[in-house]
Amino acid sequence: MTATPLTTESPMTPAAPAPSERPRHTARWAALAVGAVIALLVGVLATRPPASDVVAPSPILGQPAPEIEGPGLDGTTVRLSDLRGRWVLVNFFATWCIPCVREHPELVRFSERHPAEEAVVLAVVYDDQPSDVAKFFAVRGGSWPVVDDAGAKVDFGVRGVPESFLVGPDGIVRTRLVGGVTAEGLDRLLRKAEGR
Amino acid sequence: MIVRRWLPYLLLVPVLGMALFVGARSSDSAPPTPAQRTSRIAAQVRCPTCEGLSAAESEAPASVAIRREIRRRVDAGQPDQEVRAFLVGRYGRDILLTPEGSGVAGLVWALPVAGLVLAAGGLVVTFRRRNAAPRRTATAEDRRLVEQALGR
Repeated sequence: MTATPLTTESPMTPAAPAPSERPRHTARWAALAVGAVIALLVGVLATRPPASDVVAPSPILGQPAPEIEGPGLDGTTVRLSDLRGRWVLVNFFATWCIPCVREHPELVRFSERHPAEEAVVLAVVYDDQPSDVAKFFAVRGGSWPVVDDAGAKVDFGVRGVPESFLVGPDGIVRTRLVGGVTAEGLDRLLRKAEGR
Repeated sequence: MIVRRWLPYLLLVPVLGMALFVGARSSDSAPPTPAQRTSRIAAQVRCPTCEGLSAAESEAPASVAIRREIRRRVDAGQPDQEVRAFLVGRYGRDILLTPEGSGVAGLVWALPVAGLVLAAGGLVVTFRRRNAAPRRTATAEDRRLVEQALGR
């Protein structure tokens, strides 16, 4: 009886694959494509205008502005109808809202550019404490009327803060702006609305 | 034979009738309170600042304000339809969670019903055709072939 010699290599072992003659660059091309898409995205995001002064539709555009009435910072009653005869930017804001904090200097610039007889900002408090609001204005400036009217946000169909409505001297709602505003954007809107 | 086939369906008629009668009576027996009406209307309204929640479920300031406004209008005696119309007039049609029954939005209600009717009609036609098809019976030639295969 002869023993079968042990071999280190099994006859079933597949042969090592021959190296490809034409090197493939799939990974390189995929990386290039992904890089190109990322560069394109960065380019688009960097060059597009910032998300401010965004005009949005609303069912109340062209309608008489709903009345806003409530206590002001000094306790006296503030009414939107008392401002009839001038442009009013009704600005819903909250002290805890970061975009509201960012837009505040723009509102200050806008109010400084326009005499109160021409255009005025009316700030409407959105779910905030009067003491926080008073401190906010004391620190950041702004001398326009502030009103706390909890029902106004529903009357104007406000979906979040900041949100602003440009009301004409005739009391008609002309424009709805969602998100932050800029002084330049508001000036443009005002000029357009006045037909200048 | 026909009576036996239709008997279960005939029995269903009084059962369904009784269920409808009891359901209608129970809903008529107690008119909803203002709080129940407020909850019912708020449940049909979308929370303006959050995703996938109704104004009844959400505690967001906008939803709280909407509930307060609904309650104020309910207390003032406005019917549900008027309260909903007020909210649509302020926020737009998309504030409602349930689409309206008229206009293009009405298709949302009409299309499933139309689909159901079409499907039921298709089933009826198919079953009728199947029943109307002549039953196949073995011919003399078939019998001869079977006999031959069996070696008789």
